[in-house]
Amino acid sequence: MIKFHPSEQHLVLYTAGELSPAMLMMVGTHVDMCSHCQAHVRDIEQQLARKLLGDVEPQPLARNAALDEQAMLQAIFNSQPTPQTAAVAANDSLYLEGNHFKLPATLARNSHRIGDWSRLPGKLWRAPVTVGGEEMLNFIYMAENASLPEHTHKGNEATLVVNGVFNDENNEYRDGDFVLLDNHHKHSPATQNEDCLTLAALEGPLHFTSGLSRLLNPFSSLFFK
Amino acid sequence: MPPAQPDNAEHAAELLAKVASEQSRAAFSELFRYFAPRLQAYATRQFGNEQTAMDLVQETMSNVWHKAHLFKPDRGSAATWIFTIARNIRFDFLRKNKYRQYDLSADDLWPVLAETNDSLDDDYALDDDLLMQQLSVFCEQLPAAQRTVIELIYIEGKSQQEVADALQIPLGTVKSRTRLALQKLKELIKHDD
Ligand SMILES: [Zn+2]
Repeated sequence: MIKFHPSEQHLVLYTAGELSPAMLMMVGTHVDMCSHCQAHVRDIEQQLARKLLGDVEPQPLARNAALDEQAMLQAIFNSQPTPQTAAVAANDSLYLEGNHFKLPATLARNSHRIGDWSRLPGKLWRAPVTVGGEEMLNFIYMAENASLPEHTHKGNEATLVVNGVFNDENNEYRDGDFVLLDNHHKHSPATQNEDCLTLAALEGPLHFTSGLSRLLNPFSSLFFK
Repeated sequence: MPPAQPDNAEHAAELLAKVASEQSRAAFSELFRYFAPRLQAYATRQFGNEQTAMDLVQETMSNVWHKAHLFKPDRGSAATWIFTIARNIRFDFLRKNKYRQYDLSADDLWPVLAETNDSLDDDYALDDDLLMQQLSVFCEQLPAAQRTVIELIYIEGKSQQEVADALQIPLGTVKSRTRLALQKLKELIKHDD
């Protein structure tokens, strides 16, 4: 059962296509995994459609327009259907450390954007997902009994559990859970006896706050290579 | 009683069905006269550029004309479907303005116009390996027209719409040929056991 969902505003911006690329991937993947948010997105689509294409009488098309209706209709009737652009086949399998993960549809359709895995200190692995835009999108894989040093962020951090379970000081997060932390939150994510594959969007570099890990601050550059 | 307008959801869905099944220009024109000005108003607000707005209208409505068979009335209204097409086109327009190789494409986020081969679901889907091993043998026993469709879909990996375009036959014919061929293949495979 998914306990943590994106906000309604996230879902509206996702449906309108107005989030950053990294957040579109995050919210889209959550929606793939969450029937509740799927229904919500369908409602939002309907509301946006009604608002934009509803029965308010718009200006006639020809009024200021470069083309008249008849000409455009003819152009459409004479046009050829655009061929399917699915250049890259969806791939919903991800292999890591001998584990096989089944990717939700949004990630499967974008699997060609997943870069190579690199190992980080502390039983962590990371792979960048290259989607364009300012924000970084990464897979973070935590093996069993792994932990990330306590840190805050200069910007916002969104984490989505793709498979497994992790916890921080406040909660336990499982498949599909979507967690958004702003720069006031400190947290130290860790796994217990189960591993965890997450997708993380970071607005700014990680900022380590606790004891020794402050010395590890250069470590944060590993997330931003 | 005023005549039914496309803002009546049922009527709009009927018009789309007519466009899909018989390429009805009259039905499409009615949809066009309703939706095109509204799309133009939306796109003009979004882009602040008349030509780009017109391009969005034309590209959106071209997709409605060519892909009406992908509209699923049980998933939402015609207006909602047309909105999602326009949303995708707008997203890709904005992306092309500052085109970078790795940027997301709308179809990879929201596959609104993906051909789903839905007649191949469940009942008619055959196990892949089974297909590959036995298709070639059994296909030879199919009528030529059915065999061609099956080969294009399963061996060349074309969508049903692409097969319809390639053979210049209606999509409905491709679907019924596929269905008949798969039924026949199932019988052949069963009797072979
Ligand atoms: Zn949700």
